[in-house]
Parts: sequence; C-alpha cells; structure tokens
Amino acid sequence: MIVIILSSVAIIIEETEHPLYYWLNFYDIYIVTTIFIIEYLLRLWVYVDRRKIVIEEFENSVFLESRFNTKRVLLKIWRKTLQYIFSPFAIIDLLAILPAYRELRILRIFVLFRAFKIFRYSKNLVEFLDVLTSKRTELTMLFFLVLFIVFISGASLYVFEAKTNPNVHSLLDAFYWSFVTISTVGYGDITPTSNEARIFTVIIILAGLGLISFFTSIIVSSFTEKIDEIKESKVLSKVEQLNDFYLICGYSHLAELVAQKLKSEKREFVIIEQDPKKYESIQKRSYLAIKEDASKREVLERINLKNRVKAVMCLAQDDIHNIFIALNIRSLSKSIPIISRTFNKNSYKKLKLAGVDYIVSPYETAGLIASKILSQPIAIEAVINILSKKKNAVCDETEVLKNSFLENIRIKDIDLDKYKLILLGVRRIDENGKKFHFNPSGNFILKSGDLLIIMGYSISVSHFKSLVIESSLTHARKKR
Amino acid sequence: MQEKKDSILLIGYGRYGEKIAKFFSGKEFGLYIIDIDENHIQRARQNGFDKLFTIDINDDEVLASILMQENFSTVFCAMDDEETNVYFTITLKSIWDNLKIVAICESKESERKLKLAGANKVIDTMEGSANKIFHLIEKPAVIEAIEEILFLDDEIDTREVEIEKGSFLDGKYIKDINFKEEFNLILIGIIDKETGNDFVFVTRGINHKMDAGDILVLIGYKDDIYRFIKDMKESRR
Repeated sequence: MIVIILSSVAIIIEETEHPLYYWLNFYDIYIVTTIFIIEYLLRLWVYVDRRKIVIEEFENSVFLESRFNTKRVLLKIWRKTLQYIFSPFAIIDLLAILPAYRELRILRIFVLFRAFKIFRYSKNLVEFLDVLTSKRTELTMLFFLVLFIVFISGASLYVFEAKTNPNVHSLLDAFYWSFVTISTVGYGDITPTSNEARIFTVIIILAGLGLISFFTSIIVSSFTEKIDEIKESKVLSKVEQLNDFYLICGYSHLAELVAQKLKSEKREFVIIEQDPKKYESIQKRSYLAIKEDASKREVLERINLKNRVKAVMCLAQDDIHNIFIALNIRSLSKSIPIISRTFNKNSYKKLKLAGVDYIVSPYETAGLIASKILSQPIAIEAVINILSKKKNAVCDETEVLKNSFLENIRIKDIDLDKYKLILLGVRRIDENGKKFHFNPSGNFILKSGDLLIIMGYSISVSHFKSLVIESSLTHARKKR
Repeated sequence: MQEKKDSILLIGYGRYGEKIAKFFSGKEFGLYIIDIDENHIQRARQNGFDKLFTIDINDDEVLASILMQENFSTVFCAMDDEETNVYFTITLKSIWDNLKIVAICESKESERKLKLAGANKVIDTMEGSANKIFHLIEKPAVIEAIEEILFLDDEIDTREVEIEKGSFLDGKYIKDINFKEEFNLILIGIIDKETGNDFVFVTRGINHKMDAGDILVLIGYKDDIYRFIKDMKESRR
C-alpha cells in the first residue's frame, strides 16, 4: 500500500515538468483510485457492524416485548456510518480519492493527501503522533503564545513601518515577518528599517529563542517519558509475530543460562522480568523481554499464550512468586507445560498443586550428581557432557514414524552401528501409560509412535533422524 | 570401589549439603559433616546424622585434626555461599594437598576459582539445571530415560570396568566383541590409554584396541555387569 501511495505522489511530481506516458496516467487515475475506493468502502463496511446492531436491537425488543423498530435500527446504523465518515482518517482517505477527477485542477493538491495515508500503514509515524497528542495541553499553550506574540509584534511592525518600509505592504506581510523572526529562521526579505522597530525586533528575537527552546523541551521530554512505552510496544509487536516460542518468567542466573542455551539452539523465547536492573541486563544481551510482573493476569493475556507458547519456565528468585506465576498461567491455559525451579523442599507439593508439570531443583541435581560421582565418575562426566553438548556427543529422541523404515522391524535388524549410534532404550506409550524399555533385546519389534533414545555425535543423530523422516515421506508419496 | 567402607567429609549442611547428605545416608559410607553455622548442625542432628562438627572458619587446626582422625577418600565442599566454598577448598588443600575435593558451584566464575583453589571436580549446579530444563522442553523423553538409567532404576547401573591383563578382552578390538548380544550391555565409551587419558565415545566410530589398563564404560543391568566382570576375571590366564 505504501508503494502505491508513494508511486502516486511521484507521478504527480513528474507531471509538473513532463507530459505523462499514457499508461502511467491510466495507472494513476484508474488503478490507484480504484484500490483506494475499494479500501474506503471496505473500511466503512467493516467499521459498522450492522448485524450486531440489528441483533442487539431485536433482542432488546424481544426483552421489552415491544415492536421491532426498523427505523430506529437504520438510524443507528446511519449514525454510526456518519461517525466513521467524519473521523480524521476517513477524511484523509476520501481526500486521497478526489484527485482522480483531473478536470478540477485545484483538487490535485489533494494527491499529497495520499501521502498522509502512509500514517495508516506506518506504526512509527502513528507512535510519533501519539507522543505529540500526549502533550496536547502544552502544545496548545505554546500555540496560543505564538499566536499572541505574532499578533502583537506583527501589529507593532505594521504601525511602525507601514508607511516608511517599502516591503511592508499589508498586515499580512507584518505577520509573516513576525513569524519568520520569532521562529529564528529570518529570511531577510522583510527587514525593519527604523530604530524603534529594530529595538523592538531584538525583544521579539529573544522571545522567539524562548519559544523554540520551550517547543524543543516539550518534544524531548514527551519522548523520554514515552520511550519505555514505545520500546515495550515494539517488543510486544515482535512477540505477536512469533509463533511457537518459550516463555521465561523471571530472570535469575538459571534463567540466564537457559536463555543462552535456547539462543545457541536458535529457539525463540520471551522473558518477562519486572526488576529494572535485571531488565537492563536482558536488554544488553538483546533478548526479547517484557518489563512486567508475570504473576499479573493481564500481562499474560496480552501475550496470548494459547497455541503459541510451547512451554513456560518459572525461574523467579523465590518459590512464592513461582507458584503465583504457575497459577496465573494455569488459569489461562490448562495444557501448556510448565517447568518451575524450586528452592525449598516444602514447596514441591505446592508447586505441583499449582499445576507445574516438571520441577527442577539445583540442590536436588547437586545431590544426585554428588551421590554418583564417587562410584561412577566417568559415566557422570559423560552424561554431563552429553547434556551440555560439550564434546559434540548428544542424546536425542527419534520417533518411529508411520511407514518409515523403522516401523515393525526388529531392533537387531536396524544395525545402528552402521549409523554410529547407540540405542539406550525405547519409550513406548501403551494402555498402561508411558514405559521406558531399557536396552531392549534384539527381537524387540518397533511400533509407530515409539521413541528411540539414541546417543551419538550430533551429525550422526541428525543424519539418522532425517533418514527416518525421508523414508516415511517416500512411502507416503509412493502410495499416492 | 563401592564395596569398601569409605569415609566422606561433607562441608556445609545448607540447602546443598542437606540434599547431598540425604543421598549418602542410605549407603555404606561414613559421613562426617562440618558446618560453620550451629543451626545447620542442629538440623543435621535432627535428620539422623551423628558425626557432626561446628567449626570456626578461620580455625585451621580444628579442621586439620578432623582430617587426621579419619582417612577421607573424598571431601565435598557444599557451602551455600560460593565465597566460603572457595575459601574452604583452598584451606583444605593447604592442609592436605592430596585430598580429593569435589566442590559445588553456581556459576562459571566460581567454577574457575574453585579449580584454581585445587578442587578436583566441580559441579556447576546451575549449568546442570539449565541443561535439564532445556532437555525437558525440547526432548523430554531423553531426560526421562537418563534419569531412569542413572538414578531411578536401581537395577540399572553404569560401571567403569578396567581391562585386566590377560583377560579375554586384552588385545581385542571393540568391534570384535558384541557387548549387546553376548552380555546384554551397552558400551558407551572407552578410555584408551594408547590415545591418551580422555574418555572417547564409541559413537566416534574408532575401533579401539583394548589393552590392559584401558577403562570401558558400560551401562546395563547389575547382574549382567557382574557376570561380565566375573567372566573377565575368570578368563585371565
């Protein structure tokens, strides 16, 4: 849309100097205008929800047991339509359509109104306008002050010099001069000649300097006030574009490590943290972050968790807050997996009650590792390496896809050695629930839906996974 | 390793210490606990531990006398406060250089300091937890499997087996032996003394030659591991 608008403005600029090609003229008059008309009508149509008004009115009449008043409904719709037609944006839209009527030359100036239509499509410009409107009182004050000074000084110049200065023909000239002077532009096409007027001019220039700095300070201060909001809305609009991301609530040291991991694996994630200091350190790392309290309902509602968030991690610095966040998420969605950190052993049960699916405790982890590190140091080291991907060896899960070469096959026939992989076990879900079959015998027959837990170098693992997917797809294609 | 009764010294009975102590309480270890906070020691007493000492952090002599009492195979430094933990590590090393110290830390920063202070092994709990969280959200089945194998199923064990001289493994290549078919074991990796002291995963694809002194890391049911070790010992010429 922005391209259409810019092209239209470019055409009119071109037209002032050169005659137009026929097709350009055709494009400008018919195509652009048609698109604008369609847009205008569609917006008008969408703005007034006729059906809703009719239904509402009908229900009211049923409720009050009065007759359905068609006239009133039509009037209501008409009023609503008018309301749209006279809204500023609608007027701009309409003015942008008008220049199609080329015979009225004066209307051509309205082509430039097409440029104003860009406002509709550019969020940055809208934000700028928002900032200005937030300072409406100050700006109006300034406007009247300017008006006042221009009036006084213009009138004074006229009185002083109307007779003696050949450049001052009318009161309009005097006002024009006064505005050029106080804005510190000073073209110099009209200059005061008498001593009285010059002294007076010095005063006006001083006043002008004051006004300019006043104006600048209003704009600057309103931007500094709004900058956080603008940044936040930027983040929110980025978050809106995301699909399938993780949500990290609370930016603790643990959260930082998780974020690093997610980043290195190129996963999308959003952090919610209310502490300004921590928020700053998140921004330094240029992660997507919202400066809010994750235990507030409206915050999560704005993000629109459903079907977009893959999992939520509650990693705040204390259990109470984590429980609050978990409850908050559960109140919005029953199905999103929640992982929470815990500090106190007493909180375990409470977190479970709050709806947390997995609970991670660094203390517990430490205990588990410590208990094994004496008897099996190398094995523990190996597992830590696998989990942290330090030595390029990974442990991964591969689903036995339907119709892939893995389905209905005995484990010993796969020959995982060939793929440089180790099979640790198979997880199968049957009527008895999930079960992990450790190191199943060679005669174990795989079914679709089983998860193979395999270990190997990341390159072998991803190669094997792609083979499985490919074989499943090839089969599907053959069938067709 | 596990058979003989070892004494372990645990420094700190805070959040970390309590968990670690819990995991050792069921096993046949002599567990000694030291803390600088009397309250922590009180709680340890309530939880059923008896070899407890409250010490002053600057009193090296008391610490030295405790170390003299018993021949500790390992010392765990698990103070909640990272700085105190580093301090204890360096104190212990200054008293007895040969002590094997396993220390807990929460950040890369203190991991480095602990290593400099002389800790033989450093457990970064935050890194561990972060990895766990990452796997939980991306590959939950993997975490379940690993927990099942390492911690939950008592029948499954991981074991490091040193190849004995003259046994049937000595001089063979790892691909010559089908660990799964013959012993129902999974061979994860090997420390091949010929190539260095590093642990190498078998999935690297190298056909290592096993010699006496090399260490195999195996996963399997305890009985199978036991049978394997027995077979190896019996095959010694």
